Amino acid sequence: MKTNWRKTLLAAVLATVAILFTQNSRAQDAAAKSKIAVVISTLNNPWFVVLGETAKARAIELGYDATIFDSQNDTAKEAAHFENLIAGGYKAVLFNPTDANGSIANVLKAKAAGIPVFCIDREINSTNAATAQMLSDSYSGCVKLGQLFVKSVGKEGEYAELLGIVGDNNTWNRSKGFHSVVDRYPGLKMVAQQSGEFDRAKGLEVMESILQAHPNIKGVFCGNDSMAMGAYQALVTAGKADQVKVFGFDGAHDVVKSIAEGKIVATGMQFPKKMAQQSAEFADEYIKGKRDFAQKIPVPVEIVTKENVSKYGNYGKK
Amino acid sequence: MNRRLIWLMGCVAGIFSCWLFPLFHVVTLKTATAEKAAATFNATLFAEMFWTNQLPTALEKTVTAQILLPAIQSDAAAAKKKFSRSLGLGEGYFYFLRGEGKIISVSDDELILTVTENSTNAEISLQTGLIFGNALRDGTGLLSANDYPNSQDFNDISAALNHIVETRVLPELREQAKVGAKISFVGCAEVGDEATDLKPLKVIPIQTEVQ
Repeated sequence: MKTNWRKTLLAAVLATVAILFTQNSRAQDAAAKSKIAVVISTLNNPWFVVLGETAKARAIELGYDATIFDSQNDTAKEAAHFENLIAGGYKAVLFNPTDANGSIANVLKAKAAGIPVFCIDREINSTNAATAQMLSDSYSGCVKLGQLFVKSVGKEGEYAELLGIVGDNNTWNRSKGFHSVVDRYPGLKMVAQQSGEFDRAKGLEVMESILQAHPNIKGVFCGNDSMAMGAYQALVTAGKADQVKVFGFDGAHDVVKSIAEGKIVATGMQFPKKMAQQSAEFADEYIKGKRDFAQKIPVPVEIVTKENVSKYGNYGKK
Repeated sequence: MNRRLIWLMGCVAGIFSCWLFPLFHVVTLKTATAEKAAATFNATLFAEMFWTNQLPTALEKTVTAQILLPAIQSDAAAAKKKFSRSLGLGEGYFYFLRGEGKIISVSDDELILTVTENSTNAEISLQTGLIFGNALRDGTGLLSANDYPNSQDFNDISAALNHIVETRVLPELREQAKVGAKISFVGCAEVGDEATDLKPLKVIPIQTEVQ
C-alpha cells in the first residue's frame, strides 16, 4: 500500500515536470515564431536603407526576429513579399509602400490574415487597411522650404522642379507645399517640372537636359535628397554650381554634409530613425494586445540650412 | 441543319450575354468629366462649408488671450499642456484663441497688439500678409487627418482655408487697422519654435472687429 502511494507520488511529480517541460518548449517555439517583416520600397537609396535597418534593429532589440524585404519600387515584388510573409507566419509588418494606391491590396491581404501593418514614411490612400501610418509632414516641411526658396533665390527668376515618383503621395505633398508658397510670387517662373523618380542617376540625367533647354535658371527644388545630389552633380559638370541654388528633402547624410560645405542650400530633415523605431514599438505594443492606434501620425519635418546644420547629422538631430 | 441551328443559338446567346453584361460602356466626354469631378475631393467647397457651418460654433470655445498670455509668461510648458493642441510625434503645437487689444503698430505683414492693460509690449502679432501653412486647419482641433484617406486632400484644405482668410478677412482688416484703435479677434497660432513664436504670439485671424 505504502509502495503504491510512493509510486503514485513519483508518477505525479514526473508528469508535472513533463508538462512544465512541454509548456516551456511551446513557449520557446512561440518566441521563435515571433517574426516581424520590414518591407521597404527600395534599398537603392541610402535614406531607405537607414529606415529599414533602424526598424529591423529596434524590432530585434524588442525581442523579435526581423527580416528586411526590398520591393525595388515594384508593386509586383511587394505583392510577392506579402504573400511570402503571410505564409511565413510573421506577426507584424513595418511597411514602406511603393505606391499609395497600388499597395492597399497588399495591406488588406495582411489584415485579412490577422497581421497588423504599420506604414512608415509613405502613405497608402486608405484609412481602414493599415493599423497605423507614421508619415512625415512633407507638406508643412515644403511650405517652409518654399519660404526659404523665395528668400534665397529672390522673388523673380526662372527655376526648375524635380518631382519624385508620380504615384507616391509624398511627391505631390512636397510639390504642393512648395508651390503653395512659390506660386504666390508671379515673378518666379517654373520653366521645367520633370520626374527624377527619387533617384540620383535619374536626377542627374533630368537636370542635364533641363540645363540645356533653360540655361538661366536660378534655383532647383528637388523632391528628395538623392535627386538633389544628382542635380548638383549636373550643375558642377555644367559649371553652374554657383549660379543655381539647390534645395532637397529627406535629411540624407551626404546632403547635410553638402549644406555644411555650402553646396546645397537646404533640406527638410525627416527623421527616418525616429519613424522606424516608433513603428517597431507600435508593432510590439500590438502583439502585446494594444489595439487603439491613431490611423495617421504626422512626424514634423525640420529645415536644415547652413546656419543650423551643426545641430543635425546621421539622419536626425545630434 | 442542326449545326446551323446550334451556331445561331450560340450567336443569340452571345449577343444576349453582351447586352446583359456589356464589355464596355460608351459615355460622353462631358459625363465622364462630371463623374470624375464628383468623385474628386473638392477642398474649396469643403473649406467653404467648414468656414460657414462648423467653425462659427467653435469660436466661443477658445481660450482668451487675457488668460493665455499670462499663463505662457508664467509657465510656457504648463500653458502648452493646458491650452494647446499638438499633432503626432512633433514638438510643435497650436493655440486657438480670442482676445481684445490695442493696435500699437501696423506694417504690410502684421498688426502688433497689446492685450494686457497698461502694457506697451508687443504681445500679439496678427498676420496680415500672405498666409501659409496649417495653423488654421490644425489649430481649431475640428479637423483630423484620420478622416482623409489621401493626405493630399487634407493638405488642400489648408490652402483653401488660407485663401478664405486672405480674401475675406484680411482686406477689411488692413483697411480699418490704425495705430491706437481697439480690436477684437479670434484666430489660430502655430508654435514651432518657442524662442521666436511666443513673443509676440503670431496669430492668423479668423474673425476681427476694429472699433
